[in-house]
This record gives sequence, structure tokens and C-alpha cells, in this order.
Amino acid sequence: MVGVLKIIVSSLLVSSLSLASEYVVIANKNMKNISKAQIKAIFLKKITVIDETNVVPLSLQARDSLRMKFEKDVLRMSFTRLKTHWTKQHYKGLRPPISMQSQQSILAFVKKVEGAIGYINADNLDADVKVIYRWED
Amino acid sequence: MRNFLIFLLLATSLVAKEAYKLGEGMQVQELPLYLGGYISLDYKSSQTEDRYRINDLALLAYGNHNKFSYVAELEAKEFYTKRYRTEADNSTYNGKLYVERVYINYTFNENYQLQIGKYNSPVGLWNLYPINVFRETTSSPASTFIIYPKYTTGLLASYQSFGDGELSIDLMLQHNEDVDHEYNNYEIDKHYGFGVSYQIDDYSVKLNGGHFHKVNLGTLEDELYYVLVSAKYETDTYQVLSELGKQRSNDKVTTNYAGYIQGLYRLTQKYSGVVRVEAIDDRVNKINEELIIFGVTYRPLYPVAIKGEYRFHSQNKLNQSLISLSVLF
Repeated sequence: MVGVLKIIVSSLLVSSLSLASEYVVIANKNMKNISKAQIKAIFLKKITVIDETNVVPLSLQARDSLRMKFEKDVLRMSFTRLKTHWTKQHYKGLRPPISMQSQQSILAFVKKVEGAIGYINADNLDADVKVIYRWED
Repeated sequence: MRNFLIFLLLATSLVAKEAYKLGEGMQVQELPLYLGGYISLDYKSSQTEDRYRINDLALLAYGNHNKFSYVAELEAKEFYTKRYRTEADNSTYNGKLYVERVYINYTFNENYQLQIGKYNSPVGLWNLYPINVFRETTSSPASTFIIYPKYTTGLLASYQSFGDGELSIDLMLQHNEDVDHEYNNYEIDKHYGFGVSYQIDDYSVKLNGGHFHKVNLGTLEDELYYVLVSAKYETDTYQVLSELGKQRSNDKVTTNYAGYIQGLYRLTQKYSGVVRVEAIDDRVNKINEELIIFGVTYRPLYPVAIKGEYRFHSQNKLNQSLISLSVLF
């Protein structure tokens, strides 16, 4: 009986791992390696220049599920707290990241624009961008 | 005031690039120019008077180009005030516009920035976002306006680094007269200050110190030194914020201590309750008291705040209630 349970539990674990989705933060090829803390600072506009280049963080639309995952897992901030943050930044003269329509448009923008940085599903990745951070569900 | 209205009409007559969202301002066509503003209305009732005010009416303009950015803020302070139950009921109108902030910022890289102009002194945590709509109470603690100059006109050099936490260092330098001193709590011609802050996860701590020179004639203590420590813990539900400062002149203590601890609980996304305990020993103005403040805030949207508070002073005759409405555009 114990052996059967072990098999069932192992099967469930394997199947859940194979279902886990992987996401990536991507940047233009010329971007240097940066830490997760720096990625967060870029998306909160605490960092606006890396080396000599203006950084251009790109976001998805407000209710996009990947955007919500990014805000929860990478920025570690709730929607309300982020809203508060951006209202305060308006007073300091800073704007939120540009909202893009789709992951494809983020990918295309990042390829073309030096300093651009965004996030997409790893399935949409191609070799013309640099992966600077990976995370899973 | 007429110029303000003309500017506002011109600005709003231009076509905005994107749909306007309250609290986020609007971009003027394709220009590196965003416009916004805020307004604050309040009512105070104390044992000696009732007062209604349109206190702040401000216009913000900002933008950026490459590594440069700028912010300009003009404000009509105490635009309209009506008092009752004083010796003579009166109303006052002040249409004069003051320069609250005007600065240009240059960002060298991810670590270094330099700013020149008039800016909020980055002292403590309260003074970073001092306007009514961002505050959790209509009133501000005494430590935020008796310890240090709220505004500095000069240079601000900043360093920041992001490791496990966020380290920031600020150096303030003023060696000239204020731009529009009307809007500063001290009229000064010198301010040398520093700030070191560290933030990790939900915790922030900060230390500030500095020296400034008052230019008001008739004041005996004009060379002043201050130190302020601040700390904050914040989650989605709670916030605990505290500051404690001291000020002295060359030969005596001018403020022995001024500090507060404030707790905030977010009941829902729209409602929050706040309690603040303050203690002040100001030897220049001869104020030595403690007070406790209870307040509630309703935010139908984050850029709109409707607040009520009651202030219990250790000197009962100073007890008062405050209600305000503030909106960020």
C-alpha cells in the first residue's frame, strides 16, 4: 500500500513539474547582466539609466495574467501598492513603464531598442534577445 | 492667479496624447511635458475658532529627455480662508502663486544623480511626499516642520545601490538665498545636509543630519544643527512610521526632541484607520506637550482622499478636529 502511495505522489510531483510555466525577463542584447533587485528597481523607475544608456521598461496591459505574475513574483507588490507607488511617482515626475499590447510587441521592441527590458513567456523566446532573469510558477 | 488660470486653460486646450487617468496627469501631445496638479480643502474646529480653507491649489509640470528630467510646481497657498468664532469673523483670499519646487535632474548611471534647483529636502520619510493627498492625516507631525528646512534651493547629489536591500545616500547643499522663501518653514541662505537610508523588504531606516542658517532678522538663534532618525515598516495591510529629531544652535538646545510614531491599518482597499502619538519639547516656541491623534481615511480612488481626525493635546484647550478633501490630478 505504501509503495502504491509513493508511486502516486511521485507521479503527481512529476506531472506538476512538467506543467510549471517558465517566464523570462528579457533585454536588448547590449544590456549588461543585472540582478533581480536591479530589475525591480528598473520597473519601479528607481533606476532609469544603466551605464550610459536610458533603460526602457515595458509592461503588459493592466489585467494581463503574465503582468500580474511578474508583479507578484518579481516586484513582490500588490496591484494596490503599485497603484499607490505610481501615483506618488507622478508627484516626483516619473511615469509608469510603457504598456505594450502583447508579448510579441515586447519582443519586437526589445530587439530594436537599446536599453529596452520586458518580460515574456519562455515559449516565445528567441535568440535575438538577452535573458537576464528566469522564474517559474 | 490670473496667470495660473490662463496657463491651465492653455494646457487643457492642447490635445492629450493618451486618455487621461485621475492621479496620473497627462502628456501634452508628443512633447516631453506632463501636466498634473492637486487641490486640498480642509475644515478645522477648535475651542477658539472654526476655519474653512482651500489650502493648496497646485499645478505640476514635468518631463524628461535622455538623462535630463525636470519638475516644476506652482502653488497658491491658503487660496481662500474663512474663519468663524474669532474676535472678528473674516475671510482672506491669497491668489499669489509660489514656486514650491523647480529643479533639473541629471542621471549619470544606475548609481549617481545630480539635481539643481528648489526641491523637497529628502529629510526623513514624511517630507518625501508631504502633500495632503499622500498623507494619512490632514495634519503633519511637528517634527516635520520644526527640525529642518522643508525645502532646499541648491544642489542635491544622490547615490543608490541595489543589493539584498536598497542603499541611498543624499547630500544637500545650499549656499544662496531660497527660491521663493515664502514656501519654506525657515527662510535660509545655507543648508548642508546628508541622509543615509537602507530599505530591505518591508523595512526602511534612515538617518539625516545637517546645518542651516536662518536669515530672519530678529531671531537670536540663526545657526542651527539637526539630526533626525526615521523608520518604517509597511505591508499591504499595515504601516508603522516613526521619526525622532533634535535641533540645537551653537550654544543651546533649541528643540530637545520632536517625534512621533504612527500606525496605520487598511481596513479595506478604500478605508484605513490611523493612530499617531507625538511628543514635542520645542524650547524656542516654548511648546512642551504630547498628543494623540485618531483618524480615518476614505479613498474612493487612491488619488482622492477624504480624511477626518481628532487631536487630543495634553493641553486640552488645543484639542481640535480636522476634516479634509484632497485630490491629485
